[in-house]
Amino acid sequence: MSLIAEPLKSHLSARPSEGLSHRLSSTKSGGKLIADYWDRLFTARERGATVVWYNGAALNPIFQAAGIEWCHGEAFGARLAAMHHEEPAQKMGEEYGYINELCSYARTTLGCAVLTKRASLSEAGVSLAGADQDTPASRLPAPDFFVNAYAGCSTGQQWDEISYRLFNKQLPFFKVSYPLLWGNKPDAGYLRGEEWEDASKYVANQLYKLIEFIEAQTGRKLNWDVLRESMHYIKRASQLRLEAMALCRAKPAPATFWDWIASIAPINFLPGNQALVDYFAGVKAEIEQRLLDGVTALPNERYRLAFDGIMNWNKVGWLANKFAQNNAAVLVGRYTHNSFWQEPQLIDEDNPILGMAQHYLLCPFNHSAKVLGELMLKDCAGYAIDGVVFHATRTCRSASNGQMVMAKMAQRAGIQTMFFEGDVADAAFYKDAVLESRLEAMLETIDVRRR
Amino acid sequence: MRKTDEIMATLTRVADDPNAYAENWKRAHEGKVIGVFPMNFPSELVHAAGALPVVVQESRAPITLGRSLLYEYYCGYTRSLTDQAATNQFDVFDAFFLVDHCVALLGAVDAMRFELPNKPIFLAQYTASMDEAWTPPEIRKKVESLRSRLAELCGATISDGALADSIRKFNRNRQWLRRVYDLRRSGRIGITARQMQVLVKSSMVMDIDEHNASLAELVANLELEQAGGSALVRLHLSGHFCHAPPAELLDMIEECGAVVVDDDLFTGFRYISTDVVEFGDPVDALTQWYFDRNTNVPCATRAQKTVDWETYLVNSLEKSGAEGVIILMAKFCEPHMLYYPELRKELIRKEIPHLLIETEHEGLPIESLRTRVEALLEGMRRAAFASATPA
Repeated sequence: MSLIAEPLKSHLSARPSEGLSHRLSSTKSGGKLIADYWDRLFTARERGATVVWYNGAALNPIFQAAGIEWCHGEAFGARLAAMHHEEPAQKMGEEYGYINELCSYARTTLGCAVLTKRASLSEAGVSLAGADQDTPASRLPAPDFFVNAYAGCSTGQQWDEISYRLFNKQLPFFKVSYPLLWGNKPDAGYLRGEEWEDASKYVANQLYKLIEFIEAQTGRKLNWDVLRESMHYIKRASQLRLEAMALCRAKPAPATFWDWIASIAPINFLPGNQALVDYFAGVKAEIEQRLLDGVTALPNERYRLAFDGIMNWNKVGWLANKFAQNNAAVLVGRYTHNSFWQEPQLIDEDNPILGMAQHYLLCPFNHSAKVLGELMLKDCAGYAIDGVVFHATRTCRSASNGQMVMAKMAQRAGIQTMFFEGDVADAAFYKDAVLESRLEAMLETIDVRRR
Repeated sequence: MRKTDEIMATLTRVADDPNAYAENWKRAHEGKVIGVFPMNFPSELVHAAGALPVVVQESRAPITLGRSLLYEYYCGYTRSLTDQAATNQFDVFDAFFLVDHCVALLGAVDAMRFELPNKPIFLAQYTASMDEAWTPPEIRKKVESLRSRLAELCGATISDGALADSIRKFNRNRQWLRRVYDLRRSGRIGITARQMQVLVKSSMVMDIDEHNASLAELVANLELEQAGGSALVRLHLSGHFCHAPPAELLDMIEECGAVVVDDDLFTGFRYISTDVVEFGDPVDALTQWYFDRNTNVPCATRAQKTVDWETYLVNSLEKSGAEGVIILMAKFCEPHMLYYPELRKELIRKEIPHLLIETEHEGLPIESLRTRVEALLEGMRRAAFASATPA
């Protein structure tokens, strides 16, 4: 029985090279969707479209319903890093004065902003030599306004404050503020307690204000039908994504964390439409087919690992191969499985704002270490995990918060842990030898414990 | 009346070992000691609950056990917090409170919760974006929640009257300290940067009545001083959020031939810049104080469209007569790293000599930094000489 479309079949017949991961083919269509999205955004000015630059939460359904085009700062920084095009932007940021220990997402996209504003900055006496105007980093259309909506990271808000200043404080700027889900009260916990309820309403109220702000910028009312429709598709896509993820609990697993990394961009910022649903339906179908055919992600799955932390975008393929070479199937992660519309039951399609606000609060960096540890342990149990790999992300305090506590919680539960150093978008902080030796040590320990 | 040296020696002992002071206070008063974290906590609330508020300080001890709670790429202050928690240095504190949203601080304090599970740690997170109409009522709610939690913890009722009394005492303290700043800017007193740090740091950790008494004597003494004119280069020290820069760094800067006439350091003018309104509802007043502080001395940790730190800085230089700026940045301090280019751009635009120095918990290469400071000062002297010499 075949569950998938004909064009995918040829990919499925291919076997992985020795020791390497057998990545899903269906994610390639996501790559095309993403490339098309950025190419279209790059021409926004020529098409007379209104452009918003935003950071943090997935506000794109609101922008979609407002009929404007959106540029997600971190997403563009991640894309540049994944394509190894981040250097010109980071160099420009450095010339402007940003120290390399600063969040590399911020440095990269602020570098893009400096590139966009280069001429006026030079007039202001700031020396900015050596920028390549033809780099992809230079292609972002200048914004008409900014929206900041960064949960779990004070830097995220300050970053947009600086973007606003880089554009001479002349563009409209709206900020959504989030409380950290800290848990002062005994009833506090994941999706429960008075603090959760209060925070949800607080953010929802700000989203209504954001909509008023956008309406003032565009001069037209938000199309609520489009918002509801967009959230309908996003909810369906999210359900398919979670169902597909759950299929990967099988031993050996049909797909890995790296396939979910490849699927982050679509769920994070692509328009809510049928194409998004089709994408995740395709991913799920491919995984189902693999299960039917007995095709596994790794030819010799020996270890089952979890990955905590934000992605090292410069090294995605490298890391996927590194773990695969060691027969280590990375199956679950905070950044993939506990992020991006991961609680679709919260979305009321007819009245989506509260559910959207709740998802924005559920940013994987907006929880206490205790809750993060509990979520991790639940995932470890669900996926029969042998060890947790923590990506100590040099310039991201937000993703780093809580990791050492989580590691202690994992160790107390009898799960092996390891750390390796890297970064979201600055390749200079990745130390391959450190990962290599620590991974080998952890896998050896897992072997010893099995005996 | 005690002499200035005697008062400074007492305050220095407290500033050098705040925990020892807090232990003595606890024994003497049989009250609770509440640790509060920088930079916006209204200590008046703790005082009105009958407890001793102590702004938790960085310890100069090397980081040891704290390394298992927080990575090395966090600022020295936050790493020191987790280390102090892990090495049982916080026994004197009955609870901790904070309102700031710094990602590194929240990470560190969350790790402290894990390490000190029996110690209450309460976050009333203040919204950092100051521009929106819905922010003030939200801050007011947070102030009320602090009041309620502190009252519960201390077994006390925090009446409006008690709160108003605490506000008056803390205002008096800030006013004494601002008087010292005025005297320093005017050149009437020869107080060092290290001494100024002691005055502010001790005010963060001491019983407010005791500190006010010391400042009353000190200021009376200082008012009598008449320092001679100085040929030293006048500098403004800027930045260094949350904790004090190493005193030996301040000494070195002055040894190079400079006099520090003003600052916007947190353990400095930023901390004491703004009084709380003394009339009306005290909760309203403490709410307003949060906004007033950022208007008076803008901070890179807040998001406010209507104020600029760089504008404040340049205006401060005009008022104090400072000829140059040394920006002190705690390594890994993200808001400061983000804002630094804006400061730099404005200082370049105004042709104001400046130098960036990053500080680290583990220590500083003082001699290489000395060379950089000397180069800055030499350049300033030459420029002054050139402009004073007829062409």
